[in-house]
Amino acid sequence: MQGGIKDSRSYTVFRVINAVLIVAICFITLYPFLNVIAQAFSSEAYINSGQVNLIPMGFNVTTFGYVMSDPLFWRNYGNTVVYTVVATAIAMVLTTSFAYALSKRHLKGRAFFIGIAVFTMFFNGGLIPNYILINTLGFKNTIWAIVIPNAISIFNLLVMKAFFENFPEDLEEAAAIDGLTTYGILLRIVLPLSKAVIATMVLFYAVSFWNSWFTAFLYLDQSELYPVTVYLRNLLAAATGGESLGAGMGSGESAQVAANVKAVTMLLTVLPIVCLYPFIQKYFVSGVMLGSVKQ
Amino acid sequence: MTQQIRPKGRARRGAVLAGALLTAGALVLTGCAASDDGGTAEGGEFDFTGKDVGAMEDYGVGDTFAATEPVEFGLFYRDHPNYPIDDNWLLFEELEANQNVTFDIVSAPLSEWDQRKSLVIGAGDAPDIVSVTYPGQEVSFVAGGAILPASDFVQYMPNYMDKVEKWGMEPDLDALRQEDGKYYLFPGFREEPRPEYSYAVRTDIWEELGLSLEPESFEEFAEQLRTVKEAYPDLYPMTDRWSANGPIEGTLGFVSPNFGTTGGWGFGQGLWWNGEEFEYAGASDGYRDMVEYYAMLVEEGLLDPEAITQDDDQALQKFASGQALAMGTNDQEIVRYRSTIEELGTDAEIGMIRVPAGPAGDNFQSGQRLVSGFMLSSEAADSENFLAMLQFLDWLYYSDEGLEFAKWGVEGVTYDKDGEDTWVLNENITAMGLNPDAPENLQADYGFSNGVFTLVHGSTVALDRSMLRPEALDFVESMSSKDVLELPPPAPLNEIEREQVSLYQSSLKDHVWQNTSAFILGQRSMDEWDDYVAELEGMNMPAYLDIVNAAQERYAESN
Repeated sequence: MQGGIKDSRSYTVFRVINAVLIVAICFITLYPFLNVIAQAFSSEAYINSGQVNLIPMGFNVTTFGYVMSDPLFWRNYGNTVVYTVVATAIAMVLTTSFAYALSKRHLKGRAFFIGIAVFTMFFNGGLIPNYILINTLGFKNTIWAIVIPNAISIFNLLVMKAFFENFPEDLEEAAAIDGLTTYGILLRIVLPLSKAVIATMVLFYAVSFWNSWFTAFLYLDQSELYPVTVYLRNLLAAATGGESLGAGMGSGESAQVAANVKAVTMLLTVLPIVCLYPFIQKYFVSGVMLGSVKQ
Repeated sequence: MTQQIRPKGRARRGAVLAGALLTAGALVLTGCAASDDGGTAEGGEFDFTGKDVGAMEDYGVGDTFAATEPVEFGLFYRDHPNYPIDDNWLLFEELEANQNVTFDIVSAPLSEWDQRKSLVIGAGDAPDIVSVTYPGQEVSFVAGGAILPASDFVQYMPNYMDKVEKWGMEPDLDALRQEDGKYYLFPGFREEPRPEYSYAVRTDIWEELGLSLEPESFEEFAEQLRTVKEAYPDLYPMTDRWSANGPIEGTLGFVSPNFGTTGGWGFGQGLWWNGEEFEYAGASDGYRDMVEYYAMLVEEGLLDPEAITQDDDQALQKFASGQALAMGTNDQEIVRYRSTIEELGTDAEIGMIRVPAGPAGDNFQSGQRLVSGFMLSSEAADSENFLAMLQFLDWLYYSDEGLEFAKWGVEGVTYDKDGEDTWVLNENITAMGLNPDAPENLQADYGFSNGVFTLVHGSTVALDRSMLRPEALDFVESMSSKDVLELPPPAPLNEIEREQVSLYQSSLKDHVWQNTSAFILGQRSMDEWDDYVAELEGMNMPAYLDIVNAAQERYAESN
């Protein structure tokens, strides 16, 4: 808005409609979250009778006590934290070093290395061969099965490479003249000036590792090793499909977990990541723009 | 392909092409170990030389199995969220102390069980015993040679053979046979089928209006709903559930036999034996009658149209809060309905009606006597404890003693006997709604009544019904006058045929499901039924039936 010039009527109308739309979309996206939060503090009867929307009915916090008293939940929660931290650390080291090397135009065979990286974006060995590979490496039921296979996300790698390509070459040359080695340049000059991209990548990785369950499902078969996402999935699992069971579902064979227990578990699972978001929002925005404009 | 066994050196296993997470149809081409020792056809002898470590010399019906030295079996365990596995369960302690058996457990959570099973078996990494497998689920693993043909080894399982003979299980087992005439699953047996599903109705309102809880026919049931509608015009007399993967699947499952067809959960691959040949259930007159009946209910406002699409919780909300006065249930779910109603503080009363008779008679579906069982991986046959494993499994899953142990636990600790067939649960323990306020849980704290170790709640009529509440027993009693339909004859397909029909099956079934919804909701008029059948014919239905009928004849001739 420029000072002194009044908005035209049509522009005002446009802004009102805009605001209404944005509020509506916010509500639509937030409602499921708020509903789960409301359910977490409600008693099961009210949930089952469909009376819980945004305000908790039959307010109680006993469910929290119930979920938190399950040692397996905390164990899996701890696993998730460990897996996320270790996997993110490994992923950052590998991705940063790979991206930095690829960003150097004088690298011999650069196109080839980029080629093999990009190739894996579109092709992979498939489920069973991967399973056999991890198994043969002896990674099954170890943390390595979780943190190694997905250590480099090619998308993140390319974003980082683009950022390093835009890094002013003069700086690096100056540092080289002052006697820094290649490693010195990377560690003392380039990385300290790349906080934005590093923060973004840490976030991308951490969020994806925190939410991931598929690798755990593939390579872990002991419940005390599961991340909390698998715990949650198991809790939310309805009885295995009706088809094969027909009328054969027996007493106690169909899993029924109270709706409020599900809600509490979901809430506790997403809480840490949700709490992080507001603080790192700005990095996400800059992260997405990285490398989009060439100097 | 004949499945043969010999001690393998290093069999090369190349596993290829598994549709990611397709539970069925993981096509695994495994180089399976073959030999020419004449195989082990049924009746043939398997050579247990060097594989009988820990096995008992004399083991027969009535003997308690105890390994002669400690043995450990690999077990693929289905971990249930209601009773997460605990190494200190009394069940494990007892098996170690009395049977000398321990397990090397590989566990997978219930939510991923079927997918994980496909993956691990496909990768040739399966433990000896693969638990919780329902009839039909074993088929996709047969071709790869990754699992043992059960029918070759049941001869070493005296209790199994005894039950098959006593209960006349042969026809049921025939339905499991594959192209090679063998079956690959050790199924759970039910001495008698047990009805579990029906409609739950508001008995207080039925009573108030003078309606019977045993309507003679579906016509009479519709008449009852009309009476209810007149008395309560603002409510839906009936809503329904089990529509997550298709229209009211649970309900069509228990209703369809009375219309002379199969539907919903019972639909399987849509084959219906009419006494002479297989026809496609989704195109049959019986199916049309059934769909027409529900279309009529919706049209007259007797059935909530949302029943076809809503999820189970929504249905329960309507029923519990009195917006609908009837809905599908089974004998355990009704307990949950009741507790929801109680918590809401209304004084509604509910009960199960007897499933009425339909145009095709007063029927109960066939094939309800085989349920979840287990498979053995091919590697098990190379184990030095193989014979001991067969004996142990026979004792645990098929002997009266083992069945009782797995379901009820230890006499004097978890239960006491009161006469021949009456078990009384220890008052400190709760199970299946018995002793609801007791501090300990038979499943979660002791490991008994666990779907991995007890098939079909104990198999025998006495055990199967030993934990039922009186209400459920009354329901079973009222249903017992129904005629159990004949089993269809076996029609095992070979691998090429199976691949071919799988292309037809899913598109046919999708079409049936879609149109079942459309007809019931009135989005498609019943006058278009013939068009719909023609559409099915255009989707290779005749070709599908030809293949199946040819397979049936082929099997009948060679056996």
